[in-house]
Amino acid sequence: MSKKKNSIIPHGNYWIIYVLPALLFYVVFMAWPLLDSLRLSLFTGNNIATRKFIGFGNFVRLFTEETSRARYWGAFVHTWYFFFIHMLVQNCLGILFAVILTNATMKGRQFYQTVIFIPTTFAVLVTGYLWKLLLNPVWCGDVLSKMHLSFLVRPWLGESTTALTCVALISCWQWMGIPTMMFVAALRNIPEDCIEAADIEGANAWQLFAHVKLPMILPVVGMIAILTFVNNFNAFDVVFATENVNGAPSYSTDLIGTLFYRVGIAGQHPIGIPDTGMGAAIATITFIVLLLGVLPVLKATQREQ
Amino acid sequence: MKKSSRFLIASFVLTLLIIPCLVAQGTQEQGSQKVVLTMGSWRTDDVEQMGRLLTEYKKIAPNVEIQFQPTNPPDYNATLRLQLDSKTGPDLMYARSYAAGQELFNAGYFADCTDIPGLMQNFTSSNLAPWRMPNGKMFAVPFAAVSHAVYYNKDIFKANGLAVPTTWEEFLAICDKLQKKGITPLANGVADEWDILECFFLGMLPDYVGGASERVKYESGEKKLNDSSFVAAYQAMADVAKYCPKGYESVTYNDSQVLFNTQKAAMFIDGSWTAGVYADATFNWGVFAIPAPKGRKTAICFHPDMAITMNTTTKHPAEAKAFLAWLCTKEGATTASKNLPSGYFPMINFEIKLDDVHANEFLALNSGKETDARFVWPALMDLYSPMNQAVIKVMKGQLTAQQAADSVAALKK
Repeated sequence: MSKKKNSIIPHGNYWIIYVLPALLFYVVFMAWPLLDSLRLSLFTGNNIATRKFIGFGNFVRLFTEETSRARYWGAFVHTWYFFFIHMLVQNCLGILFAVILTNATMKGRQFYQTVIFIPTTFAVLVTGYLWKLLLNPVWCGDVLSKMHLSFLVRPWLGESTTALTCVALISCWQWMGIPTMMFVAALRNIPEDCIEAADIEGANAWQLFAHVKLPMILPVVGMIAILTFVNNFNAFDVVFATENVNGAPSYSTDLIGTLFYRVGIAGQHPIGIPDTGMGAAIATITFIVLLLGVLPVLKATQREQ
Repeated sequence: MKKSSRFLIASFVLTLLIIPCLVAQGTQEQGSQKVVLTMGSWRTDDVEQMGRLLTEYKKIAPNVEIQFQPTNPPDYNATLRLQLDSKTGPDLMYARSYAAGQELFNAGYFADCTDIPGLMQNFTSSNLAPWRMPNGKMFAVPFAAVSHAVYYNKDIFKANGLAVPTTWEEFLAICDKLQKKGITPLANGVADEWDILECFFLGMLPDYVGGASERVKYESGEKKLNDSSFVAAYQAMADVAKYCPKGYESVTYNDSQVLFNTQKAAMFIDGSWTAGVYADATFNWGVFAIPAPKGRKTAICFHPDMAITMNTTTKHPAEAKAFLAWLCTKEGATTASKNLPSGYFPMINFEIKLDDVHANEFLALNSGKETDARFVWPALMDLYSPMNQAVIKVMKGQLTAQQAADSVAALKK
C-alpha cells in the first residue's frame, strides 16, 4: 500500500509514540529479564559479590556431573511424559467435547459447558490440595470401600509408578475447559455450507470430522498444542501443590519447572543455598527447547487466512 | 480551557506548600529516637510467643521495638536470600546451623558476633559449635535446640495394658499388639520426605551409631557409612514400615499430626516442636525416647536448631547488638526460655526450669544419655538427599538395608 499525498494515513514516524508505552513495559518486564538470564547462565556464584565468569562451565557441569545429569534427564523425560498426557487427555478430549457440544441435536449445552469450565476457575493450590486429600487412602479409603470401589484405594501420589500420571491427570482435569471453549468457538466458525455439502456427499460423522472440521480448525489445534507445550514445560504449581518441590516420590514427579526452582531459586532443602548460574543454565536450555518445539508447529499449522 | 488550567496551576502550587509541613512533622517524630528493628524467621507458628518475648524486651529497652516477621518454612531460605541480596533484609534474623549459616556469613550478610558480651562465657563449646566458623568466629547467638522422641497416646496404652518400651524389640512388639487390635501403631508417612528422615531416622540414629564422639569417626572415614550399625538402622526402618498407616506413601507431615491428634494412630515419632499442636488434645499423651535395640545404649538426638544473628547492613547495629547481648545474660535467657515456643529448649549454661509439663518431659529424656545433633548436619549435608531417598526406598521394600547403606556410603567423598 503506497502512501499517497492526500491519503488518510498520516506521514512521519508518529507511530513510535503510540508503541512506546507497551514496548517499554515489554522490554523491562519480559525482554530484559530473558536476556539477562541468558547472561547469568555464563556466571557462577550466588550474588553479585561472589559471581565469576565461567563461560559454558554451568552447561558442561549440568551434563557431566552424575547427579546433575540424572536429575536433568529425569526431569526432561518426565516433562515430555507430562506433555504427552496433556495432549492425549486434555486436548483430544477437548476436541471430542467440542464436537459433541456443537452438535445440532445436543441438549443441555449450557450446563455441560459450565461444568467443564468451572475447574479452570479454581486456584491451582486449591485443586492440588483437594485432589491430594481425595487420592489419600488414609482419608478417602473408607468412603471408597463403602462405595465398593476398594480397588481404587491406593497411595496414588505416593508410588513412583503412578504419581506422575495422577499429577498430569489432575492438571488436565483443571485445564480441560480452555481447549474445549476454544475448539467450540473454532467449530462454530466453520461455515454451514461446508458441512451441508459434506452431508450431501454422504459423509458419515467420522469422515465429516476428519476431512472437513479438523482441517478447518487446524490453526486453533496448533495454537492449543503450542500453549500446552509451553505451559507444561514451565509447569511447577501443580507439582508443588500435590507433591513437593523435590518431585517426590523418588524424583518421579520432578519436572523441569521444579528442577529449576530447586536449583536456581530455593536451593535443596534444608540448606537452601541456590545456584543461580546453574538455574539460569537450566532456564536457557528450556528456552531453546521451547523455541525448537514451537517454531515448526507454528509453521505447519498456521496459514494465511 | 483557561479556567481549568488556572485551577491546575493553583492546586499544584498548594501541594508544593503543604509538603514541607508534612516533612517537618516527620522529622519531629524522629527526634524522639524510637528505633524499629525487624526480625526474620521461619517459625510462622511462633508469632504469639515471640510477641510476648519481644514485649518483655521492650520493658528493658523502651525505645526499641522489634517486629517479628516470619516467612513460611520452605520459602524462608529463598526469601531471606532475595532480601539479603537486595539489601532489604531484616535487622535480626534466625540463623540455621552449620553449613547453611556459614555460607551466609561468608557472603557477608551475618555480622561477626564473637565479641558480644556473655556469648563465649555463657555457652558450652558444643552449644557454640553449630554457629562457629572454622576460624573460631561466631556468627550467631544460640537460641534454641529441639529434641526428637516418640509421642504416645497414654490412654490407648493404658486401655491395652502396654508399658513404655525400653528396647527396640519391645517397641516392635507393642506395635504388633496394637496392629492386631486394629489400631494403627505409628502415624509416620513418607509423602513429605523430610520428616521421615529428620524426625525418625536421624532421631533414631544415635541409638545405633553413638553420640558425637562416634559421629566424627564416620566423618573422618575411620568408620564406613555402610557398617553393621548403619545396616541395622536401615533394617529397623524396613521393619517399622508395616506399622505405619496403610497408604503411608501418601501420608504427609500434617496428615500424621492429624492422625495422632484424632487418636487414629497410637504413636508418632516426631520432633519436640510439634508439642504445641497437641496442647489442647482431648487425651493424655507423653513422650518416650526412641529405644535402642538390646545391647546398645539409648541416645537422644538433641539438635541445636535456631540462633539469632544480626544483619551486617542494619541501620541500628548498637540496638541489635544490645538485644543479642541480652539473650546471653541469665535474665534474658530465662525470659526467652519462658516465652520460647513449645518444644524448643534453651542452650545457655544456666539452670532453667520450664513451665510446660511436656517440655520438661522432653528435657528429662536427656538425663543420663549421650546426645548429638542430627547426624548429617555438621559435616555431611551432601548426603542428606541420598540418605533420605535410601530410607524411603528401604521402607517401600525397593532396596535391602545393605543396598541402602551401600548407596549412601558410595557417595561419601
